[in-house]
Amino acid sequence: MSKLTVSAAPHIHDGASSKNIMLDVVIALLPVSVAAVVIFGMKALAIILTCIISSVLSEYLFNSITKQKQTIGDFSAVVTGLLLALNLSTNVALWQCVVGSVFAIVVVKCFFGGLGKNFANPAITARVFMLLAFSSVAGGANPVIGAELTSSATPLELIKNGQELPSMMNMLLGVHGGAIGETCIIALVVGYIYLVVRKVIKWYVPFSFIATVFVLSFVSKFDLSYALYEILSGGLFIGAIFMATDYVTTPITNKGKVVFAIGCGLITFAVRVFFSYPEGVSFSILCMNLLTPYIEELTHKHPLGGVENVK
Amino acid sequence: MSIRKNVSKLKLPHNKHTAEMHSTVALPPKEVWLPMSMHSGKDAVPVVEVGDYVRVGQLIAREEGNISSPVHATVSGTVSAIEPIKSMGKEVLAIKIVSDGKMEKDPNLKAPEVNDVDQFLQAVRDSGIVGLGGAAFPTWAKLAACKKSKIHTFLINGAECEPYLTSDTRTMVEDGEYIAKGIEYLRKYVGSEKFVIGIEKNKQEAIKLLEERFQNDNTVKVEELDSIYPQGAKQVLLYNVTGMVQKPGTRLADLGVLIINVTSLAKLAKYMEDGMPLVDRCVTVDGSAVKEPNNFVVPIGTPISYLFELAGGFKEEPGKVIIGGPMMGHAVEDLNEPVVKATGGVLAFNVKEAKVYEPTACIHCGRCVDNCPLSLNPTEYARAMEMSDDQEKLALLKKEQVTLCMQCGCCSYVCPAHRPLVQTNVEAIAFVKKNRAPR
Repeated sequence: MSKLTVSAAPHIHDGASSKNIMLDVVIALLPVSVAAVVIFGMKALAIILTCIISSVLSEYLFNSITKQKQTIGDFSAVVTGLLLALNLSTNVALWQCVVGSVFAIVVVKCFFGGLGKNFANPAITARVFMLLAFSSVAGGANPVIGAELTSSATPLELIKNGQELPSMMNMLLGVHGGAIGETCIIALVVGYIYLVVRKVIKWYVPFSFIATVFVLSFVSKFDLSYALYEILSGGLFIGAIFMATDYVTTPITNKGKVVFAIGCGLITFAVRVFFSYPEGVSFSILCMNLLTPYIEELTHKHPLGGVENVK
Repeated sequence: MSIRKNVSKLKLPHNKHTAEMHSTVALPPKEVWLPMSMHSGKDAVPVVEVGDYVRVGQLIAREEGNISSPVHATVSGTVSAIEPIKSMGKEVLAIKIVSDGKMEKDPNLKAPEVNDVDQFLQAVRDSGIVGLGGAAFPTWAKLAACKKSKIHTFLINGAECEPYLTSDTRTMVEDGEYIAKGIEYLRKYVGSEKFVIGIEKNKQEAIKLLEERFQNDNTVKVEELDSIYPQGAKQVLLYNVTGMVQKPGTRLADLGVLIINVTSLAKLAKYMEDGMPLVDRCVTVDGSAVKEPNNFVVPIGTPISYLFELAGGFKEEPGKVIIGGPMMGHAVEDLNEPVVKATGGVLAFNVKEAKVYEPTACIHCGRCVDNCPLSLNPTEYARAMEMSDDQEKLALLKKEQVTLCMQCGCCSYVCPAHRPLVQTNVEAIAFVKKNRAPR
């Protein structure tokens, strides 16, 4: 008999792995990626591929140069690249995509110690960085389908300017201006259901985020249609489903996750209404990322059979 | 009393393949090794010498101090060695008896004379019975709490939440009579008025039989528990059945409650009848590498290699062999280790299932926090153990109350990064205990 394996208990495992979780996120993003290419054309595909390739490559090079264990096999760089791409509009230049990806991976993730150590969501932070660096990232671009559309402005810009909005059907299908991955609500919801079924995310996190924006919007004008357009517009769905649920940069406790999501909803609404800038999702998630350690402290679980208020 | 808040939530594959297999009394092995540490507390002290002839049930090592348990010969034959062996991860003194194959009983054994609580406790002490569910706490030391506190409720633990293991299930199916007799002893001498037999839902046969047995006794309730790991852990069972919580620095008996394993109780009742101490037990033999999984009654001290022989040997090369269940059991280096009092099963997994995964970075997913039955924070313990400043490390570990961890294994089981969380907790607890200020 060959040597027996001696390892610490437990001796069984549920089979989940970080890599499979990342793959699940990629799978959940596939419908909206396909929708992005259908709605916005080959430029969308070029943005997606550029972001993924430059994200993975920059992580590979960073690990090689700093002589660390190679980590690109965990697929987290693919997720970051894909998420960043889906948050950009077709107005962006491909070289700008490369800059954004390198920023996301190297500055936001690797400089802080790699996967699990970064305090802010790399894709969100890179997007905000790009908004400041290259104004073309923001705003909408004309979809290649839906010829009746004359304005490339995003629905949020239209709301702000009091202009006519796309039909509700076009809102759900995503045939209007915006970032390539934020418009097709139906595809995003398919991804949401997949992640919930696969137990990658808790259903109530995106729900609380979106519900908060909905309730605040409705209460502010008592207009159901306005509230609906508010939640279907901008990066709310993609942000709530895929970024406000990022493990690394959100609270670890379930209560904390809800507090985080509601906080995101409040900030999103505030930015949309009170700031000159029409969109608030990225800013809200980034702000809440910074508050994550405090939320964790506040929502700390009390151990069963433990003493309270231990110093 | 059905509160069922279920602090735990982890659903494991049960793999109770042997649940319907009658416990078969096996031919005794050629030799047994009886470690002096088959219970928690102080090691027992040998009272025999190499060369002595011993009979089944004869005392061969006495208990030492107030938390300890005696050891009895489990086969008849000659003491051939008293030397340290490896058992349950420790080097420990053990007595080896070479069997003469006769299984001759010690003629001096007789049913103990019990008329009051002190005589009862002495009898339980002499029986060598310990918590047979895995904790191995000496049963008499546990019951002695009734001298100081009124015990109104007894929880009889038939949860058997570890996958694969079915020896407690067999006790409940086959030995209902002794469970009933055991309850009468507890009622008479410990003074409990209420008994709850907690059984996980996946053991319907046991539930049905015990419900029938106690249908006319409204002081005994069979409580059907969800099959959720670790349902049989003390704090979890207590909470899920009664809604009570044992606070740190207090004893379970302070709540007026005690918990006893169902097999320990049945063994206790048997001892009261014939005076034969704890010398054998039912052991489940299972796992993907085992040819014919089954339940065998073998003498305590039986080398586990013999159990696998009884089960028809291996159908595949074993990659990992475990004494105990897959969640909290102990992986052995070779098959010479003996069955101890609390061994409910031995498992052999094939090479594929024995694979150990490389840990990757923690992704902060919170599954360990979410699945901890005691709402502890394994990620914080891991963070603390990486700190270089001992004071800071100690402060964080104390704040996060690491010493509450019972090593049930839920956190490691669900960790997608395959981080050895339980091991880290064990190290963290050792660190806190080492640095505890002298009282």
